[in-house]
Amino acid sequence: MNRIISILYWISLGAVLCFITLPLIVVVAASLSPTSAVTLQPWEWTGRWYADLWSSRWLDPFLASVKIATVVAAISGVLGLFAAYAVVYERIPGSDALMSCLLSPLSVPQIVKGVAIVLFLSMIGLQGLLGTPALIAAHVVLALPFVTRMVATSLANFDANLDRAAQILGAGKLQRIRLVVLPMIKPGVLSGVTFAFIISFNNIPLSVFLVRPGDSTLPITVINYLEYSLDPVLAAVNVASMAFILAVIFLFEKIGGFSAQLHGGSK
Amino acid sequence: MNALDIELVSVSKSYAGMAVVKDIDLAIPQGEFVSILGPSGCGKTTTLNMIAGFTAPSHGDIRIKGRSQVRVPPERRNIGLVFQNYALFPHMTVTENVAFGLKMKGVRRNEAETTVKSALRSVHLEGMGERYPRELSGGQQQRVALARAIAPRPSVLLLDEPLSNLDLKLREAMRIELKEIQQQLGMTFVYVTHDQEEAMAMSDRVVVMWQGAIAQEGQPAALYREPNSRFVADFIGKSNILSVTSTATQAANLELAVGDGLILKAHKIELTAEIRYCSIRPESIAVLPPGAGGSGFANLLNATVRRVVNLGAAFEIDADLGSDVRLHVLLRATRASVPPKVGDAIHLGIDDADIQPLSA
Repeated sequence: MNRIISILYWISLGAVLCFITLPLIVVVAASLSPTSAVTLQPWEWTGRWYADLWSSRWLDPFLASVKIATVVAAISGVLGLFAAYAVVYERIPGSDALMSCLLSPLSVPQIVKGVAIVLFLSMIGLQGLLGTPALIAAHVVLALPFVTRMVATSLANFDANLDRAAQILGAGKLQRIRLVVLPMIKPGVLSGVTFAFIISFNNIPLSVFLVRPGDSTLPITVINYLEYSLDPVLAAVNVASMAFILAVIFLFEKIGGFSAQLHGGSK
Repeated sequence: MNALDIELVSVSKSYAGMAVVKDIDLAIPQGEFVSILGPSGCGKTTTLNMIAGFTAPSHGDIRIKGRSQVRVPPERRNIGLVFQNYALFPHMTVTENVAFGLKMKGVRRNEAETTVKSALRSVHLEGMGERYPRELSGGQQQRVALARAIAPRPSVLLLDEPLSNLDLKLREAMRIELKEIQQQLGMTFVYVTHDQEEAMAMSDRVVVMWQGAIAQEGQPAALYREPNSRFVADFIGKSNILSVTSTATQAANLELAVGDGLILKAHKIELTAEIRYCSIRPESIAVLPPGAGGSGFANLLNATVRRVVNLGAAFEIDADLGSDVRLHVLLRATRASVPPKVGDAIHLGIDDADIQPLSA
């Protein structure tokens, strides 16, 4: 009986892993395709599509996306931290309502948000902000609920007695936040920031309304290119951005994971 | 008389109209080991939190070394606190934990190092400084928490059920150690617990709390010997509590009627209210073989053994005195002693001084 369950377990695990990774494998294979048609020929491959990535056609949008995602991660990280602190930790009056409000952008479809932001900007005569500033603002709106939620969760798990212990030992409020609260919730903050970065970096539905010609993000450039041609360079772009995202996750894991190790025995 | 370290002056606390602590007066002299003892929900933790400053009293004043603390935040009260779950900072080493309070006080680094070392030495944790709390056992974490609390030399140390998460053996060892540390430091300890044995074992003075008020306070032995209420008699140690009516007063004795026909002679004491109960400790009752004669007991009662429980060091005997009166008797086991058997007729001898009349 146990044996059957164990076999079923491995089969279902394998199925799930295939389901998740097969499309990615196909993209990787396609990016190595020797012909300009996207084909799968595992026995013949070339790296020449990757060489194209260094042209400014791809490099500029990539750098633009990295820049926007970095700013978005930083802003939503700081705002999310403050929001969660006020709502969960300080329990300011009306904090439940405030939390719902902070999470409300999640319930609005991105397309609707995109249209709304464009209309809003043109109504108040700020079309000039379209492009990077509008993208950053919109992505922050998108990412903030995730960051707030994650920081809120780690704050909710924070043992209030640690704060009291620091207080009775003579630590003022700022000292307690700096020396006790922040180190304890660092993993939550870092994973929130990682999320914000990825959400911004990969975003299409919002960005498509807000980019300006000649000043586009990487996913939008891919979409635009796709309208006219489908060739392995697109696959190469996707593989490269996938690798980049993995590197970002790995980096934040390294920073956050290190502290998670220290926190392993907490409570 | 020592100077007073902590004074509570008619302190009350209510939450949303519910009185949790009712009009408590308490004065704790410097260097005393005081336990606040009571069942859960009696207000002892609230009282502790008010002394620490985490909770503001609704009424009354709290003074430390004569100065009112009501407007002083916890971080400026110079109090140490040991938490029930230790509350060690998991992201800091043992040394960093113990040094935290010193750092907050702005103590210079090399001076702090010396203090941390001696604090760790006094809790027997030398050489553990570089470990993280999660790498320590529960007992060791408890010691770190203690070292962290005493390192900044607070005027008062509050302990909130600090031993309740430890196993019995360790708890008993820590009791002795805590008391030794307290005497070495000469620091005032306020120890909150629901464990009467703990309170009895360590304290110079025990404050028994019940339903938000102080039921009785005094030295452990006095509380045990002369409880002033059914609650205290029952909560501190085990006790036989009987419903009685006072029938007559003689020169030295009170006569108390239990059930119908049974009269107990008790030592005469002054009670402001009518005597309604009496308390008899199980170990103060002597078991005599039938026909042994009076042998000097003020009370000599006939009883039948209903149940005998072997506790190892003693036998717990359930003795039936007839007319619905039962007494638990603790008979010390000696090498020669043969405990009575169920159904045996025995005599119980009780000294008049061992019967404590109670009015509530």
